[in-house]
This record gives sequence, C-alpha cells and structure tokens, in this order.
Amino acid sequence: MSTPGSLLSFNINDGYIEGILRGFRLGLLSNVDYSNLTQCDALDDMKIHLATTGYGDFLENEPSPLHTTTIAEKCTLKMVEEFNYLRANVVNPLAQFLDYIRYGYMIDNVVLLITGTLHERDPEELKEKCHPLGLFDSMRTISAEATVDGLYNNVLIDTPLGPYIQSCLSKEDLNEMNIEIIRNTLFKAYLEDFYAFCMKLGGTTAEVMHDILMFEADRRAINITLNSFGTDLTRDDRAKLYPALGILHPEGIEKLKKCDDADQVKAAIDFYPKYRDLFNDTQFNEDKTLEDSFFEHEVDMHKHSFYRQGGYGAFYSYFKLKEQEIRNIVWIAECIMQDQKSKMNQYIPLFPN
Amino acid sequence: NSCPKMSENRLAIFPTRMALQGLKQKYAAASKGHDLLKKKADALTMRFRQILKKIKDKKEDMGKYMKAASFSLASAKYTAGDNLNHMVIETVDQPTFKLKMGTDNVVGVMLPVFEPLVESTQQKDLAGLSKGGQRINKTREVYMKALEALVELASLQTTFVTLDEVIKITNRRVNAIEHVVKPRLANTIKYILSELDEMEREEFFRLKKVQNKKKRDLEIMKANIQAEVAARAAKNGGVAPKSIAVEAPSNMLSQSDDQDLLF
Repeated sequence: MSTPGSLLSFNINDGYIEGILRGFRLGLLSNVDYSNLTQCDALDDMKIHLATTGYGDFLENEPSPLHTTTIAEKCTLKMVEEFNYLRANVVNPLAQFLDYIRYGYMIDNVVLLITGTLHERDPEELKEKCHPLGLFDSMRTISAEATVDGLYNNVLIDTPLGPYIQSCLSKEDLNEMNIEIIRNTLFKAYLEDFYAFCMKLGGTTAEVMHDILMFEADRRAINITLNSFGTDLTRDDRAKLYPALGILHPEGIEKLKKCDDADQVKAAIDFYPKYRDLFNDTQFNEDKTLEDSFFEHEVDMHKHSFYRQGGYGAFYSYFKLKEQEIRNIVWIAECIMQDQKSKMNQYIPLFPN
Repeated sequence: NSCPKMSENRLAIFPTRMALQGLKQKYAAASKGHDLLKKKADALTMRFRQILKKIKDKKEDMGKYMKAASFSLASAKYTAGDNLNHMVIETVDQPTFKLKMGTDNVVGVMLPVFEPLVESTQQKDLAGLSKGGQRINKTREVYMKALEALVELASLQTTFVTLDEVIKITNRRVNAIEHVVKPRLANTIKYILSELDEMEREEFFRLKKVQNKKKRDLEIMKANIQAEVAARAAKNGGVAPKSIAVEAPSNMLSQSDDQDLLF
C-alpha cells in the first residue's frame, strides 16, 4: 500500500479535508484586517471589524462592555470548532495526526488538574480553566482522586497521555518534582513520539514536520536553558528536559548542558547561523525578546508548509497559525484597553509584505 | 440676655485669699497647657500637610505602576499562553510577600507603619520554563514594585487617618481651654477680687464709723468739761480753776497696782 503523503494516493482519503483546510487558511486575518483592528478605539469597534472577517458574528451575544478574556475565549472556541469539524471527517492516519496535535494541549490540562487536585481546588473550576482542545474523557476522574498515588495508579495511566507518563515519570517523581519539570518531561516525550510518528508516515509529511518539530525542540532547549539561570534547577535536571531531536542535538545540546549564563548560551549556538541570527535580532530592538524572534521564525515556517501538497504538515501549521492569530488579537485588545497603543505593533503579522 | 454665655459661668467657691492664690495658680497652669497644646497641634498639622502631599504623589505613582504591571502581565500572557494566571494560582502555596507592622512616634503620637518583608522565591518557581520565562520574571518584578508602593501608600493613609483623629482631639482641647476653662477661671478670680475689695471697703467703713463715734464722744466730753469750768468759775467769782481733775478713764495697761479685791 502506498504511504500516506504520496501524491498518488493522498486525495483518496484526505483530499476533501485538505481542501477544507485551505479554505480555513484563507480565513486567517490579513494585513488590512490587522490595520483596521489597530485603529480601533474600543473593544466594541474590534467586534465590528471582526464580524467582517471569517470570525463572523461570534461575539454577537456577549454583553456590552466586552472584555479581552471574552474575546480570547470566543476566538479559541471558534478554532476548536474548526478542529472538531476536521477531526470528525477524517480517517487514520490523518485522524491520529490530528490527535497528536491535541496531546500538546492535553499535557497542559493534565498538569493543571494535577496541581489543582493536589491543592484541593474545586474540580468544576479546574475544568473551566482547561484548554478546550485538550479535553479528554477521563478528566473528571483526575479531579476525583485525592492522593498522588491514586492519581498515578488509577487515572493517569488511562488517559491518552498514559504511555508518556509511564515512560518517564515514576510515582515518586509526581510527588517530588516541580510541576514545571513534569510538564516539560511529558512534553519532551510527546515531541519525540510525534517526530517518530511523522517520520513513519514518510513523504511530504515527514519532510515538512521534520523541520517544524526540529525547530520546536531547539527552541525549547534554548528557552529552558535561558530560563533556568538563577533558579533551583540543577544542570542534571535540566539536561533531562532537552528533547532528543533538533539541529542542536547532540553537539549543541552538549554545549547547552554546560552553560551557566546567557553569554555562554549565545556562544553555544553561534555555530548555527539560523539561531545566531535570531539572537542578534533582539539586540537592536529593546521590546523584542528572543521569544518574539522565535515566534516570527515559527510563523514563517508554518506558512511554508502550505506551499507543499500531499502532506499533513499543513494541518499542524494551520492550527499554530490560528493560535498566533488569536494571540495577536488578544494583544491588540489588551493594548486598546490599557491605553498602550504605542506598543500595539508588537504583534506578529502572519503575512508581512 | 437671658441665656448665660459659657464664659460667664464661674466656679462656685468661697471667696478667700487662699482660694484666690489657688485659682491664680490654676490659671497660670491653664495658660501654659494651652500654649503647649497649641504647639503640639501646630506640629501635627504641619506633619499632616506633608503626608497629604506625599499621599498625592504616591497615588499618582501607583497609577503608573499598576498600569505598567497590567501591561507586563498581558505581555507575559502573550508569550507564555493564556492559562498563565491559572497555572500560577494553582501552584502557589506559601506567601512570599509579608507585612511587618511597626510604630512611629511623632510629637507623642504613635503612628502605625507597614514594612514589607520579602522572601525570595526565585529559586522555587519555574513558571514559563519552556516559554515566556523572561517576560514572567519581568512581570514579577514590576508587580513587586507596585506592591511595595501599595504598602507605602497604606502606611501613609493609616498615618493620615490617625493624625486626623489626634489633631481633632488636640484642637478640641485647645479650644476648650481657650474658650471655657480660662474665662471661667478669670471670672472666678475677678469675682473673688471684687468680693475681697468689698470686704475691705466694709472694714474701712466700719473703722471710719467707729472713729467718728469716738471723736463725737470726745467732743461731748470736752463740751461737758467746758460747761463745768464755766459753772465753777461763776461760783468762785469769775476765776477759772486752773485745772479740773478729770478722772481719766482707767487704763488697763498702766503700771499702777490695782486695789486688791478682798472677798
């Protein structure tokens, strides 16, 4: 049987859905839309502008003094609707691929639920704070468990993240480890697994996702290194969080393991021109942090995946781009609300000229 | 004017010189007390005005800090994800920012003062490890600054309220002394003086009256003697006696021995 991602057979199962996806992509906000939004004086004006875009009347029923959190929620719900529509209309392996996209959000939700349960917060409240794309059936049972042991034995293994938890966390780890370390360990396992899956799919999918996932791994490695300075995180613990893939793997990672401050990190990645340029970008602009450069580069990569056909990479990219768009909208809304219009242009336009 | 003014009251007291002395002392004490209290009120009022100015400045600063803090939070959420709030809230357990209460002494008034006590959690908190960490740290700093400004503002405002109370009390006392106590004492003193004056006048009058009577008695006696002399002279053919033995009234104080009284 021909591999998915092969141009010959792609359209049989996935052609229609890819068409739908490209339709969604056309609904992403354009530069004109962004410039209209930045000229708004109030959130209600934003609502009017958004109604002319692909978002439509999604804010119609909200009570009049609009709040940025409402806008964020509703935009996310729209994205979830689109995702669910796609997911309902696909078969494996695209179905599995789309599920992999959800695992990332599930990890965040599971971490939230674990900490909330351990601190005895109300389960209903916790449920509301979860990301909608990361919902799964056994969430209710997580909240019902009171102890860490119970959580580990009964519940976490049953969730879709079970295999990741089993492979890298033990019961004692759940108890003692800082929740952020748990989150990052899970994410490392997830990334490696996702990468393996994409490579198995082969074809255009493997090519496109290879670049994207490598960048994601490198970005996490650099961020973890930079953010761990001045905290309790030891070098060894930090070394366990670096994913085993990426351009930096393994030599750059070795160098990063030994770094103790930002200058050493800069020296370590100096050999990799792409990242060196990203670092240098931040030196000329005060407001722009390294993360902003990473976001820009990521957006660029995701746009490129749409130029390829016959692969699943575009699905992953679409949702990442949609996320960035939501972040942009919320940022503009916050700037309007807090009267900080000068900083409004720090959002990352998806289609710069 | 049928209704008596407060200042026309006087103490009900027996008008003696001792009472007068006592009252004069009380009046002097009241005056001194009035001066001291006035000085205290003035010092407090000055401090009050300084604090008012500081509060105004601090409030403006607060506005700026809070604005920067919310913006910093929005910027952190942008990078680290919208559920930043929830993550942080769910993982928090120990307070890191505590308040110490102390007292400050100003012109004898104890004013409460708040001091921040910060325990560093930089070590334990790894929020945003894989994304957004830098912005989260910046947000943390900005909010710390805002919190410290808040604490100062709180101190200033409690001081303000306490001072206000104390100033009101002190002013009330100053006014009371000035308009009630001192006039009352002054009136009492005036009353005693007037009574004493009158008593002196009475005494003088009495004395004068007695003197006059004595004078008159003496005149009458003189007139009697003249008449006697004239009568004797008429009996003796116009020769005035050289002297008349007038019995001087007995003088208890003279040296002559008294006749013994024999029972």
